[in-house]
Amino acid sequence: MKRNLRLKVLALILAAGATSAAQAYDGDWKRGRIYFRHVCTACHSAEVKKAIPPNERTKAEWAAYLQADKHNKGKDSVTKYFSKQYRDSIKSKNAAAAKFADVPENELLQDVKVFVNKGAKDGDAPAGCS
Amino acid sequence: MRTGIFVVALLASMLLAPAVNAASEPVPAKLLKSTSDHTKFKALQQEFNSGPEVTKACLSCHTEAAKQLHQTEHWKWEYKNPQGQLLGKKTLINNFCISPASNEGACNSCHIGYGWKDDTFDFTSEVNVDCIVCHDTTGNYRKPAGLAGNVIAKTMEFPPGSGKIVKGINLKKIAQSVAKTSRDTCGACHFYGGGGDGVKHGDMDSSLAAPEKEVDVHMDALGLNFTCATCHMTKGHQVPGSRYAPTAQDKGAAHLRGKEYKTIPTTCQACHGQAPHKKIAKLNDHTDKVACQTCHIPAFARGGVPTKMSWDWSTAGKMGPDGKPLTIKDAKGHPIYMAIKGDFVLGEDVVPDYRWFNGTVTYTLRSDKVDKNNEPVQINRYEGSASDGKSLIWPVKIMRGKQPFDPVNKTLVVPHTAGNDDTAYWTNFNWDKAIAKGMATIGEPYSGKFDFISTESTWPITHMVAPAKNALRCRDCHASGGRLEKVPDIYIPGRGSDHARWLDTAGWAIAVLTLLGVLGHGLGRVILSKRNH
Repeated sequence: MKRNLRLKVLALILAAGATSAAQAYDGDWKRGRIYFRHVCTACHSAEVKKAIPPNERTKAEWAAYLQADKHNKGKDSVTKYFSKQYRDSIKSKNAAAAKFADVPENELLQDVKVFVNKGAKDGDAPAGCS
Repeated sequence: MRTGIFVVALLASMLLAPAVNAASEPVPAKLLKSTSDHTKFKALQQEFNSGPEVTKACLSCHTEAAKQLHQTEHWKWEYKNPQGQLLGKKTLINNFCISPASNEGACNSCHIGYGWKDDTFDFTSEVNVDCIVCHDTTGNYRKPAGLAGNVIAKTMEFPPGSGKIVKGINLKKIAQSVAKTSRDTCGACHFYGGGGDGVKHGDMDSSLAAPEKEVDVHMDALGLNFTCATCHMTKGHQVPGSRYAPTAQDKGAAHLRGKEYKTIPTTCQACHGQAPHKKIAKLNDHTDKVACQTCHIPAFARGGVPTKMSWDWSTAGKMGPDGKPLTIKDAKGHPIYMAIKGDFVLGEDVVPDYRWFNGTVTYTLRSDKVDKNNEPVQINRYEGSASDGKSLIWPVKIMRGKQPFDPVNKTLVVPHTAGNDDTAYWTNFNWDKAIAKGMATIGEPYSGKFDFISTESTWPITHMVAPAKNALRCRDCHASGGRLEKVPDIYIPGRGSDHARWLDTAGWAIAVLTLLGVLGHGLGRVILSKRNH
């Protein structure tokens, strides 16, 4: 019983530590911009024939979208497209995925979060597709 | 109880672990690019209420920076060319927004200073130098048009009376994040010259902020990732490579580290040397007549941002059915008519014009006489010829315009366009008042009569270098109707205008006769062979 409790406490502390480490990372908006444009926009333009400029949504809308983590009307997750597995799967034909192949998933996601927040319709620097 | 002790011990070990590790086994840290962490500087650990306050803090360490800046074209907006013409944004007229003069409040948001709203601006002030505009890394630094280069540090209604609330920028955070210049900082002005994204240059727009390789092989964000300063290598804040003093032909060697050179570092040759084509050496035979850019920049405005190819001010002033200033947009949403500016023609993936160019550019100044009998007026004229030994064939953007001039004094005029006052054209749509105010501001005579005159300006195409596989091929020029068809005074094999009909006929006749001879000979051999058997 006590052993179980100790394990739970340990797991909690480790989880808290990991969360605070992730939160401590501010995000690199320039790297986010590159990943957003060369992976997200490139795929949307090719597959859906419609780009996704950051300035089409407000900061709140982007935050809600990323928080919900539902991509393609909930058929899969947004985070899937930041995973190392996904990057590995496209890196032979996508230079951004290749260049950032070893970047931790949470950092890359944070980079893009910072970029779309900044580039949102009501962001500090509204950004189109170019 | 024992669980509690365990938890405390665990927490303590987690907190202390890094320190113990640091002492026993150093953990490799991420290598910082800079030797300074600006968040640690006391001078920057304060709230700033204005740009000059930040500059004062910067200068407390970088003591000579403002003095260096004061000597630059970026600060003075003045440059005297070898012909003795006084150029620079301060005095020149163009055929985009025409002139910053009398419109300083709006245009001078792109000056590297704070507060240049009229001719009382103090060019000797050190704190008026804007360090952040070139060294920001946050991308949040803004100098809104209308504030004469000042920033909004506290949330306020802007423009006054508009009801629009603009959030103040966090100058402390921005100041603590400064670093070297980037494509974003240079681009904040140079991508938006002429009043909007990509408007002026054609080979510079926001697509260069994080471009793909196809748009610019050097700036490719996932490849070489050049910044502007990689080529425009700056010494003491002096930036080489101004279009006011262009280098048309660089016969110097590729620059090696440690050696001193008299040639500037911005040319292609400064890195690639004089014989850059290793696989097809024949191409090196072209470099004495053809600029690198001619073949390696097959088109401009290739990044998805259109550039303005013409601007007709004479049609400005139309109101829509609602009585408000009319705006018409194209299918992609880009304005092609604005009541405040007139009609535009936009271009994407534009094939350049080509000119002989020897590096000399002569400008039409405010005091020069212009005449409707000599339209279009050349706002600037690229000098050069096939025979001067200094010229190369260069790609250029030709900007065509129709702009106001004084038909009595026969001069181009400076209108006062931007502002909330009654004389600003964008407020009252009255050319008489706008021109009178503009000309009075610059101290030049105005007859009280105005008309519109056609103009052309020439812009060098030198950015947006394509990957080698997308460079021009032989047939792009060596063919009838090729790109260099109209370039005079040079023989280009295969070019339509260089064809001598008699020579072509004789050549083809020889070829046909040769073919007939070969076929006849072969046929004879076959027939004789059959007979012999």
